[in-house]
Amino acid sequence: MAKKGKKEVPKLSTSSLPDVIFMILFFFMVSTSMREKDVIVTNVLPQATEITKLDKKNLISIYVGVPLDQQNVAGSAPRIQLNDSFQSTAAIRDFIASEVERRDEAERSKLTVNLRVDENSTMGIVTDVKQELRKAQANKISYAARQK
Amino acid sequence: MEKKKRKVDEINASSMADIAFLLLIFFLVATTMDVDTGMTRVLPPWVDAEKQKDNTDVNERNVLKVSISKGGRILVDEAEYTAADLIRNRMTNESKLSQETKTFLQSPDRSDKKDTLINGQTYPMSEGVVSLKADKETQYKVYIDVQNELTHAFNDIREDYSQKMFKRPFDELDSDERTVISKLVPMRISEAEPNDQTKKK
Repeated sequence: MAKKGKKEVPKLSTSSLPDVIFMILFFFMVSTSMREKDVIVTNVLPQATEITKLDKKNLISIYVGVPLDQQNVAGSAPRIQLNDSFQSTAAIRDFIASEVERRDEAERSKLTVNLRVDENSTMGIVTDVKQELRKAQANKISYAARQK
Repeated sequence: MEKKKRKVDEINASSMADIAFLLLIFFLVATTMDVDTGMTRVLPPWVDAEKQKDNTDVNERNVLKVSISKGGRILVDEAEYTAADLIRNRMTNESKLSQETKTFLQSPDRSDKKDTLINGQTYPMSEGVVSLKADKETQYKVYIDVQNELTHAFNDIREDYSQKMFKRPFDELDSDERTVISKLVPMRISEAEPNDQTKKK
């Protein structure tokens, strides 16, 4: 039937490929948020059922856990991580003050301190952090937890 | 000069896909998708040591004392609870601790009720406070487990009220209705610091 032995297959049009990719890109831009800091302590959050979603915009995170590496320098007891370094409890007040300073005046009352504490820590360090937060008048806190 | 319209060459868009891919991969790497979740609490404002004596004025009867020892043993008003009492029963979705907390808050012989006026109607509001104390050596995981059960008790009572007043689950209420329920069932979990323990003994 065919006169030609080879019939040329038409080229697949790729002109809409950028549109598709851009669509995926926008989806990821909207649904994700920037990774802000590296966590340098163990951070396995405890599990709970009675949890609520927290708005990332209004959160100040404090990490507590055992240092991941450099244990000969940083020790093997649970430490507090503020921003990107280990800090003592005394530094919390300044940290909160500077974080509050960075936020809009209207948003300040909504600020919540998110305590991201490793589940194997002891309450001693958590209580110390909480006492410092009370002194810093950051009374709204949340215990970060995973869905059980 | 002769021709008025010259055909403009089309811009080659074949590399557009590559650019978009590059951006996509950048966003995939640099962002996270996880949502922050947690249990929110409000800490009491800081009071200086000399003022601390006259700070709380709650009738002892209306306090459910929960304390966790360093070994993970839990004392609820002198009764001893173990880790097994934090596990929920599959049928009732209640653990022994949340059950106990609910009875404490709801039963009139355990805690006092005060009539509160909300939207022109009076409702009996429990004056019960749960006081939670933990040893410095207590594992954080156990502490959160206990907090979770206590919160569960409060949330359950809120759910009951929500069904009774608005015939809808608490999650589906609007913010005004939620405030009503939260006023009616305030989440009173007091997290005393360790040195508070000697205050009333």
